[in-house]
Amino acid sequence: MSVGFIGAGQLAFALARGFTAAGILAAHKITASSPDTDLPTVSGLRKIGVNFTVSNKDTVKNSDVLFLAVKPPIIPFILDEVGPDIEARHIVVSCAAGVTISSIEKKLSTFCPTPKVIRCMTNTPVVVREGATVYATGTHADVEDGKLLEQLMASVGFCTEVEEDLIDAVTGLSGSGPAYAFTALDALADGGVKMGLPRRLAVRLGAQALLGAAKMLLESEQHPGQLKDNVCSPGGATIHALHFLESGGFRSLLINAVEASCIRTRELQHLADQEKISPAAIKKTLLDKVKLESPSLSVASVNKVSLFTNKSKKN
Amino acid sequence: GVALGAWPRVAMEAPELWVGFVGAGRMAGGLVRGLLQAGKVPASNILASAPSDKNLGAWRELGCRTTHCNLEVVHRSTLVFLATKPHILPGVLEEIRPAVGSHHIVVSLVAGVTIQTLQRLLPPWTKVLRIMPNLPCVVQAGAMVFSRGNNAGDEEATLLKSLLSSCGLCEEVPESYIDIHTGLSGSGVAYVYLFAEALAEGAVKMGMPGALASRIAAQTLLGAAKMLLETGEHPAKLRGDVCTPGGTTIYALHQLEKGALRATVMNAVEAATNRACDMAKD
Repeated sequence: MSVGFIGAGQLAFALARGFTAAGILAAHKITASSPDTDLPTVSGLRKIGVNFTVSNKDTVKNSDVLFLAVKPPIIPFILDEVGPDIEARHIVVSCAAGVTISSIEKKLSTFCPTPKVIRCMTNTPVVVREGATVYATGTHADVEDGKLLEQLMASVGFCTEVEEDLIDAVTGLSGSGPAYAFTALDALADGGVKMGLPRRLAVRLGAQALLGAAKMLLESEQHPGQLKDNVCSPGGATIHALHFLESGGFRSLLINAVEASCIRTRELQHLADQEKISPAAIKKTLLDKVKLESPSLSVASVNKVSLFTNKSKKN
Repeated sequence: GVALGAWPRVAMEAPELWVGFVGAGRMAGGLVRGLLQAGKVPASNILASAPSDKNLGAWRELGCRTTHCNLEVVHRSTLVFLATKPHILPGVLEEIRPAVGSHHIVVSLVAGVTIQTLQRLLPPWTKVLRIMPNLPCVVQAGAMVFSRGNNAGDEEATLLKSLLSSCGLCEEVPESYIDIHTGLSGSGVAYVYLFAEALAEGAVKMGMPGALASRIAAQTLLGAAKMLLETGEHPAKLRGDVCTPGGTTIYALHQLEKGALRATVMNAVEAATNRACDMAKD
């Protein structure tokens, strides 16, 4: 099986790194493409032994499982560009937040009558094989196709199938989640430094504390509330600290964060559906590069971009 | 009057147990009602004293005997509950001290008066215990903690526990927990009343008549507490069980978290506990 990534940014790198480290895929069976060769992740991909190309079409031709690893506003351009090369055998996996299966199927159906589309939401810790991934299968993707993706993603962390309407919530929780954790860790380290620890040690200990706690929770049958209680000796240090967290509305801040991320994801999807994102919002250089690779896109249509209608001539 | 020493020593088991209350106020009334409802001690075995007749009428209605003489209570009882106001107690102890014998069991309900103080003001052989009940003892759903002094042994502790378990939860604790119990449960009852009132008000705002809302609020608290006590599950787990994804409960809980309810409640318990400690020092 060969895997391709359209896009060679953080996500492609994280997944490629994870798959190869897991031994589920050899690096030479992975292709990644991007018009932008200056991305720092490009050299990272090359170092692992992934085939890098500037031609998205080459990636499609050399892949069975094709990951769309570009930012959501770029998806329609990619679909227009590689659509003609998509065959019934391909499993197209979109990792783009907020981009619906139906929008992708609609785009691809002008080229291929039964495109296999799977939508997934993963997160960056796939790079260390502790990712959190969910996926939903599209109209023409079989159970085996879903299982194949699940096998791939399970090699780099936790993976489970969900109903598509839950994916935005997953984005808010585990998609964005590592950022919440990094913020917390930065602050915890500050606390350690304030109380006299050297920075490096503070960071190391903070990270290990969160890692250990998460591991305990995953391996325990107990409710996190119970695990918390187990740490809180009466009148001790921890309960005093927790009181501060509660006073600051710690819990509600986290609930707010997950909610905001989920709502924003839906907003972006809504904007995309209504074709409200202007071309100016998309990096001009990227547009030009896409244009260079896709002679079927006319200059005129580039200036008046509508995100989910296909104005280019069929191949 | 009653001659000193005329009363025989009595057996410790009910119904031969003679129980006295020095002070007949709200807290004492709660305990005695619980005792009576549980049928552990006949009313005629109970004697209560108070300076005025203000509260004593209610005791007589229960079938208890009453007096204005604190010494009489001590003479006629084995188990003596001290239930005066804190500033009154030292004077009362001085008064009854001569009549206190080694057969007596003295149990103080007086807020803020430590076992050390009690032992200092009573004869050195006295079996002293200190108890902190709460108001729902009246309806046999109280929460009480007690501690023992130097001369109180397992027998006294067992007796007290067996008598008062009819009033609700009764646990022996180190004395340092008593002020915490005040903050948690003594005053805690008031926090619950406040919460019940607020729940009902929310319902009234949304269109429900007040009386119905209040009854439902109370039943909700009762039911939730009963599930907690009977399932033994962690409250966080029970809370999660009620929260359907994207449902009404999680929306409401988010509001509570935004208002930092947890921290506020912790603050309340802390404030009451600290106040109890401070008052004890005065």
